[in-house]
Amino acid sequence: MTDAKGAAAPVAVGATLTAIIVEGFRGIGPQRTLELKPGPGLTLIVGRNGSGKSSFAEGLEILLTGSNWRWAKRSKVWRDGWRNLHQPTGTCVQAQLLVEGEPGPVVLARSWADGAALEGSTLDVRLPSNPKQRASLAALGWTDALETYRPILSYNELGSTFDQPSEFHDRLLAILGLGEYDALAEEARQERLALDRRVKQVRAAVEPLLRRLDATDDDRARRVAAAFRRKAWDLDAAAAVIGGAGEGVGRDGVELAGDALDIAVLRALATIQPPAMEEVLAVAEAIRDGHARREALAATPVGRADELARLLRGALSFHARHETADCPVCGTAGVLDAAWRAAAEAQATELEALAAEARELDAAARQVSARLQRLIGPPPSILERAHEVGLERDAQTLATAWSIFATPAGSTPLDFAEHLEATIDPVITAADALREAAEAELGRREGRWRPLALEVAGWLRDAREAVAAEAESKRLAGEEKRLKQEQLRLKRERFEPVAKQALELWELLRQASSVELESIVLEGTGTQRRVEIGVTIDGVEGAALGVMSQGELHAIALSLFLPRATIPESPFRFVVIDDPVQSMDPARVDGLARVLERVATERQVVVFTHDDRLPEACRRLGVPTAVVEVTRREGSVVELRPGLDPVRRNLDDAWAVARSDFVPEEVARQVVPGFCRAAIEAVCVEAVRRRRLGRGESHTAVEERLAEATTVTTYLALALFDHVKRGDDVVDRLKQWGPQFVEAWSAAKSGAHAGHTGGSLEQLVKDTEQLCSRVRSVA
Amino acid sequence: MTALVGMTSRQLLEAADTLLSEPAPAWEGRWPRAVALLTRQALERAMEELFAVKSPPLMRASFRAQLLALRIWLPTELAGRVAYAWAALTRATHHHAYELPPTAAELAAWLETTDELSRTVAKRVAGAG
Repeated sequence: MTDAKGAAAPVAVGATLTAIIVEGFRGIGPQRTLELKPGPGLTLIVGRNGSGKSSFAEGLEILLTGSNWRWAKRSKVWRDGWRNLHQPTGTCVQAQLLVEGEPGPVVLARSWADGAALEGSTLDVRLPSNPKQRASLAALGWTDALETYRPILSYNELGSTFDQPSEFHDRLLAILGLGEYDALAEEARQERLALDRRVKQVRAAVEPLLRRLDATDDDRARRVAAAFRRKAWDLDAAAAVIGGAGEGVGRDGVELAGDALDIAVLRALATIQPPAMEEVLAVAEAIRDGHARREALAATPVGRADELARLLRGALSFHARHETADCPVCGTAGVLDAAWRAAAEAQATELEALAAEARELDAAARQVSARLQRLIGPPPSILERAHEVGLERDAQTLATAWSIFATPAGSTPLDFAEHLEATIDPVITAADALREAAEAELGRREGRWRPLALEVAGWLRDAREAVAAEAESKRLAGEEKRLKQEQLRLKRERFEPVAKQALELWELLRQASSVELESIVLEGTGTQRRVEIGVTIDGVEGAALGVMSQGELHAIALSLFLPRATIPESPFRFVVIDDPVQSMDPARVDGLARVLERVATERQVVVFTHDDRLPEACRRLGVPTAVVEVTRREGSVVELRPGLDPVRRNLDDAWAVARSDFVPEEVARQVVPGFCRAAIEAVCVEAVRRRRLGRGESHTAVEERLAEATTVTTYLALALFDHVKRGDDVVDRLKQWGPQFVEAWSAAKSGAHAGHTGGSLEQLVKDTEQLCSRVRSVA
Repeated sequence: MTALVGMTSRQLLEAADTLLSEPAPAWEGRWPRAVALLTRQALERAMEELFAVKSPPLMRASFRAQLLALRIWLPTELAGRVAYAWAALTRATHHHAYELPPTAAELAAWLETTDELSRTVAKRVAGAG
């Protein structure tokens, strides 16, 4: 089973047919049952074309396969005429099968409501193990098996075997149980195709995008386009270019150039910070304040005050420790008294305050100086690049105002403070103007680029996905290839026994054919898959199937299909073949009989055939065969009766009519001699064939000899004396044998035309029977 | 005029027709060859009936010659069909390698030709008085 789903019901195995029952279908009107002996053995169903025999084969096939494709492919004539003309209602085909594990026959019935279409049938499956439950083919596990092992072969199918190399390959492949590999490879392929489609989609989308990028006069667009035109897209470069499309250029540390740089310049110009008005006013005020305080302190020598304060502190400290009233420095006595001490302390404190103020003033002056230096720095260097973005005029105005502002003027700090206050306004006005201009330009440029950049960003996401998909697709392709190689290997390995059996069958079938089959190999995969048949014709290798005859092709097809239908894994122990003989020459029919004999040792083989060639070959070659004859009367009444060899058949017919109470005597007298004559001729043909084929003559030569015989006498001459011209010897020989032999001969000769006028009919049949066994024993 | 014994062509035709359209159970499977035999006998007998009146010596001629002579008294087209039916019936009644009995449709066609022959012969014979 190739069922990969695994969960299928256990397969009902060992199926053989016990009956095919058909009603109102094709050539069969009233219900007819074709009974078959179950188990291994060969059964031939023999009937003229139109006798209804094939209706059993087709009925069985449609029963098992339903509205399978094979029916859909049939001609319109067939499809219009599938209901029986004489009984267009109650159409039903049934089969009874023995299946291992079932206590009785499994009954399959397919029926059509009146007026239903061919496809509109219902199938009823009943298992004896569970008769109340409606079962199905699937429940028997046969749905796939029927397709895989195809136990029913028709002439049409054999004929079209080599028309479709890949289909033929698949039909043979199915039996090898490699379906899971196909499923896996197919899965990988589907996945790969989906990825490829995605990649293709993304590739297709880049073209219109490129056209739009080309049409955009923007360096970023040019750079993105260039990145996309590389053999392998430079997605990172493109990403870098559009990186700032939303949030500001150059922030990602990416080196900028061209238009991206323009944007950076514009952004820098838009964010220039001129000196703040409040700071300028504050600094000017601080300068003035510092100046005034310094003027006030100017009379006080700050250094001397400091030193004098320290000297007084020292004297006060000395005086406190030594308690002297005399001055230790000038020696003046009695001056260092309490009054001195109070005056000295007050003076020292005053001097110390003066010194501290002076130091504070110095610190404040340094601070103001620093703030001033910050204010009057040079104009921002970015202004020098404003021409790159066409804003040089605004930038120049700012630079000039800024330079004037920052250049020290006048001779005093008060002058400079005034200068600052007087020149800051133009700087701020110019900076505002420049910022507005830069922002306007930025807005203009972003307005054109931004949607495009967003589109590129979207595509980039897809492209990254596509690049990953491409890699995955490559990996899957590798996986597929590996699976296919493995499958190919297993295919060859598992097909070998089938091929071997097919070659053996061909050896039996080929007979006089000069075509030798050397090998049969399943080759190739995908659309290249085919069955490679190594053929040698007259020892020349490498011949094509095309040079072979239709009969040979049929025989090869049969050689290949029989092993398939009879492979041990098949749940079917029967194989039904519809008319394999059609284009075979007599020698090959002998081969076919041998092939069928061989297959029938292990399988139930049912063969439908439209003439007596195959039954004759089986009889002559001693192949054990059950024969059923099919005839169809007017009104589609089909008759089935066990087949006998022609001698027996004719004698049987003669007896039945001669003894019947229901056949009028005069009619019997007209008919019985005809049957007797046919029996004698048949025994002669049998004798001639056995003798001549036995001594190695070709079928063609033997048939030519037989065609020379036209009368009962010439038949006997050929049988008894090996020559049609020896009719006189026949009469002498019959006289020698006895009068009843002469009587039988003579009655056959004339009675077939004019009826039997002599003695009793029963005696005539007896005499004929004797003549037949005598011819059989001597010839 | 030569006296004929046995079943007339009309009787033989009726027997064949009965067998073809509604065979008794005893005939199951055997009727095709039996119908062929009876039809051929009817055809041959009809020709005898014609020649017995029109030209008795012809009855001793070869059957091939008799078939050719038919067109003296019958339309050429019918004579041709009779010759063909006779050949086919002969083939069906002798044992022929590999051949199965004729089909009901084939038999019906030959029977019809033979019936036409028989009726035409009856007219010609009556016309001759």
